[in-house]
Amino acid sequence: MTAHQSLPKGFEDLQPFVDYWVRDTSDERWQQRSKASMEDIQCFYDAMLARAEDAIAYLDAFPLDRMPDDAACLFKLLLAIGQAAIAVEMHRQPRAHHSNFPHGINISQGPKFFGG
Amino acid sequence: MSAVLENEEILEGGSRENFTQMAGLDTGPVSVESYRSPELYEREREQVFGRAWLYIGRIEELPNPDSYFVKDIEVRKASVLVTRDKQGKISAFHNVCSHRGNLLALQPSGSQSRFTCAYHGWTYRNNGELIGVPDQGRFFDLDKKKLGLKSIATDIWEGFIFINFQPEPEVSLKEFLGSYGEVYAGVPLVNNHQTMVIEAKFNANWKLIADAFAEAYHVPKMHPATLAPGFAHPVKNKFARPLAGLTYGLHRSFSAYGDPEYVSPPDSHVERLACKIDTGSLLGADLSEEVLRLRAHPGVNPTKLPCWSADVTWIFPNFNIDYSPGGYWTHEFWPTSYNTTRWVLTIRMPIATTVRQRLQQEHYAARWGEVVLEDVTNCERIQKGLESGAINVMQLQDGEMLIRHSLHVLDKWMEADTVAEAMK
Repeated sequence: MTAHQSLPKGFEDLQPFVDYWVRDTSDERWQQRSKASMEDIQCFYDAMLARAEDAIAYLDAFPLDRMPDDAACLFKLLLAIGQAAIAVEMHRQPRAHHSNFPHGINISQGPKFFGG
Repeated sequence: MSAVLENEEILEGGSRENFTQMAGLDTGPVSVESYRSPELYEREREQVFGRAWLYIGRIEELPNPDSYFVKDIEVRKASVLVTRDKQGKISAFHNVCSHRGNLLALQPSGSQSRFTCAYHGWTYRNNGELIGVPDQGRFFDLDKKKLGLKSIATDIWEGFIFINFQPEPEVSLKEFLGSYGEVYAGVPLVNNHQTMVIEAKFNANWKLIADAFAEAYHVPKMHPATLAPGFAHPVKNKFARPLAGLTYGLHRSFSAYGDPEYVSPPDSHVERLACKIDTGSLLGADLSEEVLRLRAHPGVNPTKLPCWSADVTWIFPNFNIDYSPGGYWTHEFWPTSYNTTRWVLTIRMPIATTVRQRLQQEHYAARWGEVVLEDVTNCERIQKGLESGAINVMQLQDGEMLIRHSLHVLDKWMEADTVAEAMK
């Protein structure tokens, strides 16, 4: 995590979510969602969903492997909604029912481009 | 002996086939002793993992001459070095220096033509030959030719590398795979794909997690949100009865039902957003065109029914290659003690070319992670239940036939003095 991460112009409304949800790997995003309260997950989910199509359109202008820092920050924030959706759309709670946390499971190799 | 459903009509009320008896298996309760007995585990280590061919990796993990990887196989207390030499030959060795037994290669993978022991500098070529001994003149009658790395029998099927810990395997990999190797030969696996890997270490016998992937009966109850909507149907197949259950000598497969009309629910906004990508399945990450080639193979979805979600193919003892409309993945279920397991799930998918495709993959990764979590947590509970001694046998229904076949084959290997006898 870098100390100062900012989003591209036009996405300032998402800045409050950057510190918690912008992570470098799929595994870290999973951890963050698993540790968060349902209220916080829902709040991020609602805000990011509202801007998701805008974000995809904005990011499509850059090659996936050479994004400027602010675009990369937005990309990682967008990816975090993939995790938030598991809680909001599937479990209706932060983690799977009857599951343990912490646990000994890791996404040790995520998909290329900010998957780890 | 095998059975598949012949038409979709039958499925309306659930499968009426009896896959268990058609495979020649008994129908009575089955002992749970091998899931909780340290003594039986010690016997499994020798009789099963000491004699069976075991999957160790894919050829893509050794992309170039001089590529290598090292993997720990805890159940054999072995560190295994797998190399590709200059001529392209793939070999496996115990990753142990012949001098005083230190581990040789210390990185999990890389590219080098020779390996030097960090202790005293003995050096080996990647074909196993000992080529350098510092201050050799001070040894007594040292014969370098006899002091190469201890080799482990290696063979390859369809790009899957297998090893065998018997000094001279009693059966070849081809004989070991038997009809399984023929049925699944030539399945089009896209080898330029990237891999996503999920690893889990947990407190349960290795067979419990293998069993979890051997049946879909648990899906509606255990994975109500992550899997059930696509893998069962509230009217047509509410208990996720399988389309087929087949055995191939030591090995086995089943075809899982899938709802061909599944669409993301209206309030699953992210799933809908991410799944605008043209994948072969909403619950996969492979592209449609590749999936069509996969589906055309006669071994894949043998019933060819459209209501199909996945084939679980289980190579004895601990390896799965699973095919689905969304691509293919593998499971390695490695015992680390009688009641602990290391599970490696490797999912192949294309490298994303757009932001939306990458988001779809993130969603897919997140779903898989959650399925793994649900299964691991569940297995840990079963282990506690079994170790309590409350029950001595388990009841298996027809849809759980693969578990029965697995235990039947394991029993034979546990008893038999020779592999030939075990394979009868």
